[in-house]
Amino acid sequence: MGTEYASAAAAVKAMESSLLTYSDIEQLIGARSVSDFNALLSSKTGEGQSLAQVWEMIRELAPGCKELNILLYRNDFHNLKAALKTLLSNRDASQYYIKPTNLDLARLSGAVAAKEYDELPEYMRETAQEAYELLTGTMDGQLSDSLIDAAALRAMQDAALETGSGFMIKYAQLTTVCADIKTAYRCSIMRKSRSFLETAVCGSSEIDKESLVRAAQAGKDTLFTFLDTTVYSELGDLLKESAAQFEKRCDDLIMEHAESARLQAFGFEPIAAYFIAKEAEIRNIRILTVCRECGADRKTITERMRKLYV
Amino acid sequence: MNSLGLALAIIGAACAALFAGIGSAKGVGLVGEAAAGVVSVDPNKFSKVLILQLLPGTQGLYGLLTAILLLTKIGVIGGGYEQLTTAQGLMYLGACLPIAIVGLFSGIAQGRAAAAGVGIVAKKPDHSGKGIIMAAMVETYAILALLISILLIYNIQIG
Repeated sequence: MGTEYASAAAAVKAMESSLLTYSDIEQLIGARSVSDFNALLSSKTGEGQSLAQVWEMIRELAPGCKELNILLYRNDFHNLKAALKTLLSNRDASQYYIKPTNLDLARLSGAVAAKEYDELPEYMRETAQEAYELLTGTMDGQLSDSLIDAAALRAMQDAALETGSGFMIKYAQLTTVCADIKTAYRCSIMRKSRSFLETAVCGSSEIDKESLVRAAQAGKDTLFTFLDTTVYSELGDLLKESAAQFEKRCDDLIMEHAESARLQAFGFEPIAAYFIAKEAEIRNIRILTVCRECGADRKTITERMRKLYV
Repeated sequence: MNSLGLALAIIGAACAALFAGIGSAKGVGLVGEAAAGVVSVDPNKFSKVLILQLLPGTQGLYGLLTAILLLTKIGVIGGGYEQLTTAQGLMYLGACLPIAIVGLFSGIAQGRAAAAGVGIVAKKPDHSGKGIIMAAMVETYAILALLISILLIYNIQIG
């Protein structure tokens, strides 16, 4: 058994103790005023790190760990979408880019503008060219976005398989399943064509693409019936009731998977799990802030809180 | 004088020091890596992780002890080389194998256990004693191997 990343794994274990706990979340929900909330939040999280800062720190701890890059593939492909769309609408792409990313964003903008797709990482070259041609040919931004989103999921799965890491393979599968179900549901409601569905759905070893596309095309009831036959029937049940609960369960599934790395002393898995945990923490704070601003009650906020790592 | 017998005994002493030392070096190095990770985040935990880092270092000492005992017995230390037959040399070589082999593997295994214990210090410093106990359990087998090596060295008759 390997002992890689012993130092990085131990460092993130030390950092885990500063992650928000359920009791911290309870206290934040119960804060009486905005100033109380802000004071409590800064006492728990300090100055508060952005996800980009967390990524930078993780990269310093484990430089050259290619498995970790997979965590950012969806951000990378989002940035590709931003670069293509802003190019065609003649706007500045930088305000639409999200971080952290594996890409050099200036290089991305330059490569997309010059149509020099070879300058891009291999996992997105073909997609970039295809999406550009689709966008200029059809001017259908939604179709182009769907193509890129599905390509991101496929790239994640391929990269995970290439690393041979069971942790990353499962992570990529879970991410794909959740995204595919959401896409199929939306398409079934909007009565999208079969060709659109085939572009937008990625497919995985756990949910067959062809069956999902066929079910979504037949309508949402057929889609739910199909989901009942899969191991993800609970996601279908949640989707029937509430999109918010479905989203929460998707995030929780990823977190439950990340928790499997909590007991590992070595390897990149605890590092990846910490990043996922930090992502969930930042998402929880954002949901909490928005819910409070909207005047949501305690029960509603609690229902929307994602599962925590600690 | 049968120089082959003496050479075999010296190879035995070298193996005891060498392999047990390698085991300890690997173990201590691994725990050091993990400990450095924790200390980089929280320097106050230095003393607690230091204890864990020291644990896999004992195998190297056991190997050294065995080698010194053997070298003293055969007169390499202190002068006056003993006359050893080939069979006696082989017996001394065999006597060194328990601590050489067990020292190598237990040093590495203890390093892994202690590095995992560093994770306990990182997350729950109050429970660091448990991490130390778990890593120390591996020590049992190094001590047993040391005991057998010493008993063998003392009970092999010369001359």
